[in-house]
Amino acid sequence: MGVILDPRHENARPADLQQPDPKFFTELQSEVTDKGFLVTSTEDLFQWARTGSLWWMTFGLACCAVEMIHANMPRYDLERFGVAPRASPRQSDVMIVAGTLCNKMAPALRRVYDQMSEPRYVISMGSCANGGGYYHYSYSVVRGCDRIVPVDIYVPGCPPTAEALLYGVMQLQRKIRRVGTIER
Amino acid sequence: MTIASPEMSHAQEIARSGATESKIANYTINFGPQHPAAHGVLRLVLELDGEIVERVDPHVGLLHRGTEKFCENKTYIQSIPYMDRLDYVSPMCMEHSYVLAIEKLLGIEVPLRAQYLRTFFAELTRVSNHLLNIGSHVMDVGAMTPNLWLFEPREDIMNFYERVSGARMHANYFRPGGVHQDVPAGFLEEVNVWLDKGLLPIFEDAISLVADNRIFKQRNVDISIVSKEDALAWGFSGPMIRAAGIPWDLRKSQPYDAYDRVEFDIPVGTKGDCYDRLMVRVEEVRQSVRIMKQCIRDMPEGPIASLDRKVVPPKRAEMKQSMESLIHHFKLYTEGFHVPAGEVYVATESPKGEFGIYLVSDGTNKPYRVKIRPTGFSHLQAMDFMSKGHMLADVTAILGSLDIVFGEIDR
Amino acid sequence: MNNSAPRIAPRDGIIEEVTAALGDILIEAKDAVQEVSLTVARESIVEVCTMLRDRFGYQQLMEIAGADYPSREERFEVVYHLLSVTKNHRIRVRVTTDEDKAVPSVTGIWPVAGWLEREVFDMYGVIFEGNNDLRRILTDYGFRGHPFRKDFPLSGYVELRYSEEQKRVVYEPVRLPQDFRAFDFLSPWEGAAYILPGDEKAQEAPGAPTPLKADEIKK
Repeated sequence: MGVILDPRHENARPADLQQPDPKFFTELQSEVTDKGFLVTSTEDLFQWARTGSLWWMTFGLACCAVEMIHANMPRYDLERFGVAPRASPRQSDVMIVAGTLCNKMAPALRRVYDQMSEPRYVISMGSCANGGGYYHYSYSVVRGCDRIVPVDIYVPGCPPTAEALLYGVMQLQRKIRRVGTIER
Repeated sequence: MTIASPEMSHAQEIARSGATESKIANYTINFGPQHPAAHGVLRLVLELDGEIVERVDPHVGLLHRGTEKFCENKTYIQSIPYMDRLDYVSPMCMEHSYVLAIEKLLGIEVPLRAQYLRTFFAELTRVSNHLLNIGSHVMDVGAMTPNLWLFEPREDIMNFYERVSGARMHANYFRPGGVHQDVPAGFLEEVNVWLDKGLLPIFEDAISLVADNRIFKQRNVDISIVSKEDALAWGFSGPMIRAAGIPWDLRKSQPYDAYDRVEFDIPVGTKGDCYDRLMVRVEEVRQSVRIMKQCIRDMPEGPIASLDRKVVPPKRAEMKQSMESLIHHFKLYTEGFHVPAGEVYVATESPKGEFGIYLVSDGTNKPYRVKIRPTGFSHLQAMDFMSKGHMLADVTAILGSLDIVFGEIDR
Repeated sequence: MNNSAPRIAPRDGIIEEVTAALGDILIEAKDAVQEVSLTVARESIVEVCTMLRDRFGYQQLMEIAGADYPSREERFEVVYHLLSVTKNHRIRVRVTTDEDKAVPSVTGIWPVAGWLEREVFDMYGVIFEGNNDLRRILTDYGFRGHPFRKDFPLSGYVELRYSEEQKRVVYEPVRLPQDFRAFDFLSPWEGAAYILPGDEKAQEAPGAPTPLKADEIKK
C-alpha cells in the first residue's frame, strides 16, 4: 500500500489516501507484466517496508500486557499487519509499553529503549503508561512513560481493548507514512 | 619447546594451563526484568555452575504500585477496582476476597442469587486464568499451538465479562452485598451451551497435544519435586499444595458463597513436580465447568444484591422516583458506607491459591489498613529451593508451573 | 453467621488451651467475628509459634502483616496469620514493636517468613532479628523511607525523569500539577473540629450589624 505509483496521488499526503481502487492495482499489475519491474521512490519503498514489518518488543509490564497478548492471538491477529512479537530489543522496531511503569522498572525500560536500533517507535498503551492513570499519585509509579522515553502513539483505556491497540498500531503506520522516513 | 604437533595443540594446552591456574568459578547471570519467559517483570539473579542452577535470587517489586496505601486513602467501594488490577489474569477472584472481608465486618446478608452469580463468575475466572497459565507454561517449554488454541475460549470469556460488567478485564463486578447488576437475559443459557461446544472441545484438543507428549514430559516430569513438608513450610496454597499431594482447597474446607451447595472434586498430585502442577490445573478447569453448570442449573431468581440501602446503592430507575433513593445514592458514591471497627482476615481460593485480605477498620468510611496476601509471593520465594540442582533451561518450566503474576506479587 | 464469608468451624476451647499453655507470655486473647487473635510478648514470638505449630497443629504461616498506629507508644503491629490444614482453623498472633526494638525472626520455623519479614521491614522499618537476608524487597533500589507508615505521603518524595543532558534516569523532588484530592467526610452538622471552608471570615470580622427591628427603633 505504501508504494504509490498513481500520478493522481502525487501531491496528496499519504495519510489522506483511502484504500486504493482496483484500477490502481490493474495498472500496477500491467506495469509489472509489461516491463518486469516497478519504479518508485526510495522514500515510498522505505515506508512500505517499515509499515509492513513493525516488529514490536514484548514489554508487558502489567494488566495491559494481557490485552497485548490477546491482540496477537488468533482472534485479532496483529500479524496480518506484519506486526510480530520479538523478544530482543535489537531486532525490534516498536516498543509497546503495556502497563504501569514503576520507578524500579524505569531505568530498565530506558536501557531497553536505548538498545533498540533506529528508526524506533513507542506506543504507550493504557492510562498508566500514558500518565499514571489510576496509580498517578503513587510514590512508586512514573507518571507517564513519556517522562522516560519519547512516545509516538498513546492508546487510551484501562486496559485498552485488543481492538484499541490494533487501531493504535494502524495509527502508527499512518504516522510513519506521513512523517517521512529518511530523516525522522 | 618444539612446535606443537596438531594432535597436541589447543585442547592439551588448555588442559595443562588449567591445571596450574584457577578452577572454574560459578558465574552469575541476570534473567529479566525484560524477558518473554519471565511472565511479567521478574528479575532473577541466577548463580550457575556450568548449566546447573546453584542459587536463585528473585528480585521483585518492579511493579510495586502501592495498592495497599491507595486503599487506605480511598473509600471501600473506590478500592474494588484496585483489586481487579492485582492479579489481572483473574480479576474477579481478587474482588471476591475483598468484598467478602467487607461483608464480614458489616455483617450483611447476601441474597442467594448473588451468591450463585459470584460463585459462577469466580469459576469462569478460574477457567480464564488456567487457560492462560497452561498455554504459557506449555509455550515456555516450546510448544506454540496449544497457546494459540487456548486463547480462543479465553477471548470468549472476556466477551462474557464485557456483557455483564462492560469491561473486558477489570470488571469491578462484585460489590459488598452482592454483584453490580444482573446478567443479561439469556446469558446463562448461552454460557451453558458454550461450555460444551465452545470451551471443552478446544480445551481437550489442546491438552491432548501436550499431556502425553514425550517432549513435554521430558521437560516437566520430575522437575522440581516438592514434598508435602516443603509445601507446608513454604506457605504453598492452591494448585501448588494440591500437586504436592495435600488435598487442601478453601472452597471445600472453608466454603464461602455458594460453594457448599455445589459438588466438585479436588484433583491431587502424586509427585509434586511441574507436570503434576500443570495437570492439577487441567483437571481444575474440568471441575470448574462442572461447578458452573450446577450454578446455572440451581440459580434462583431474586435480587442480585442486598437490599440494605446503607450499603448497596439503589437502582437507577428507583432514583428517579424516590427522594430517599437519591439521597442514598449520593451518600454512597461520595462518602461511602462506614464499616464497624474491627479486623478480619478473609481468604478465598483464587485460581493461584489462597488470596487473603487482612482488613482493619477503624469505623470510618476508609479502611485503616488493607493487607493483601498475595499468592505468588510465597511461591516465588520457593523458587530458590525448587530450582536448585536443575538445569538453566528448567527454570522457565518451573516459573511457568508457579503461575505467577506480578500485579499481585508486587501489589 | 448469616453472611457468605468463608465458613470456618469454631475450634472450641482453643483460647483456654492456649492461655493455659502460654501463661505469662500471652497478653491478650480474644475471639471477634469468629476469628481468634492472640497478642503475645514480642521476645517470645518464636516460642509461641513453635508451640502453635507443634502442639496445636498450625502448620502453615500464611501471612505476616504490618500495621502502623502512630499514636501508640509502640507504634507498629506485626500480625502473623497461621493456618492449620489438619484442624481447618486459622489463628492470628500479634506482637507490637517500634522503630528500634527488633522482633525475633520466625524464619527458623517457617522458611516462608523470609520474604514476608523482608516486606514488613521494607514497608514499616520493623527490624527482624535473626533474618539474615533483611534487604528491601518491593520498593525501588535505593529507596528512602518506609512507605506504608502513616506519616509517609502517598505521593512520596521523589519522582523519575529521563534527563537528556545526563543521558540517564534522574530522581527529582516530586511536583504534582494537582494534589491528591483527599476528603474527610466528617459531617459539618455533627461538628467538625476544624473551620469549614468558607467559614474562615466568620471568625475574623463579625460582618454587617443586624438591622434593628421596627419596635426597637427609638424615635
